[in-house]
Amino acid sequence: MACMNEDGQWIVLMGLLTALALFFLALIINQSALVGQTTAEGVLEFPKNDIRDLRSEIFDYIDRFGTMNFDGDAIRKDIIEISLARKNAVVGFTVGDPQDISGRMLRPVTIHYYNGVTEYDETVYY
Amino acid sequence: MVNDGGQLYTMEGVAAGVIMLLTAYIVISTTSVYTPGDTHIPDMQLEQLGSDVLAMMDTPDREGTESDLERFISAGDSADFEGMFLDYCNMTASDTDDLHMSANVTYREASSNVIKEHLFVEPDNTWTGRESAVRVTRWVQLDYRINPGTYDGSRTQAVLVEVLLWRA
Repeated sequence: MACMNEDGQWIVLMGLLTALALFFLALIINQSALVGQTTAEGVLEFPKNDIRDLRSEIFDYIDRFGTMNFDGDAIRKDIIEISLARKNAVVGFTVGDPQDISGRMLRPVTIHYYNGVTEYDETVYY
Repeated sequence: MVNDGGQLYTMEGVAAGVIMLLTAYIVISTTSVYTPGDTHIPDMQLEQLGSDVLAMMDTPDREGTESDLERFISAGDSADFEGMFLDYCNMTASDTDDLHMSANVTYREASSNVIKEHLFVEPDNTWTGRESAVRVTRWVQLDYRINPGTYDGSRTQAVLVEVLLWRA
């Protein structure tokens, strides 16, 4: 390299910087394919609607049956067995006798939901 | 006359200008890059839409009356169920959407404790098996006094309505 013309070093340096910048831009584009994948999957997998639906079904059940009787227990088994078969979710709920809660007679209800990833437990007076 | 020195500098200037313009274009258009991860977002919206439609159909007009969903399921009225579901789904502000569905009902036979499925609405001819369909579900309680003999016979029961929803 000695005795060569040393003009144009500035241009060579700019070329190097441009090449580096392009390299990092390519890296960003390469990574962008994965952006949002886990987020969207996380939201899709989260059983928000399943749990809301189960809650409303249990409240319907209480409106209709109150505490367990023969028909009520069969419905309870329907919910538990079908949840396990079709939603891969372990579901359980209990309904107690009405208690005096701040002057109103309400039933204590416990709800349990677990699908291996998301676990949900609730005690509510209805 | 001008002299012809500095031609290389002119070319460099033009090249740098083009690179800067390209960079600005790429940066501005980045927000519209549609990555594979984004394909889940329409699915997510479709799932929410389907759940909301089922919740609407499961809401009775008055307290103590049957909801439309309960009525269709217990009477086995699949045509009206499909019609109402697709009508609610495909509503948009201007034109109609192009959503299609199939549905089945899962119930439990209490005597043998076996889970059974009943194909309620068959998929139409847009179904190829390759759609990115989403599944939405809704619990329904059936009163045996209104329609005896449906699904698990003469008892009040809870069945699971599952709807497969896709955009064709």
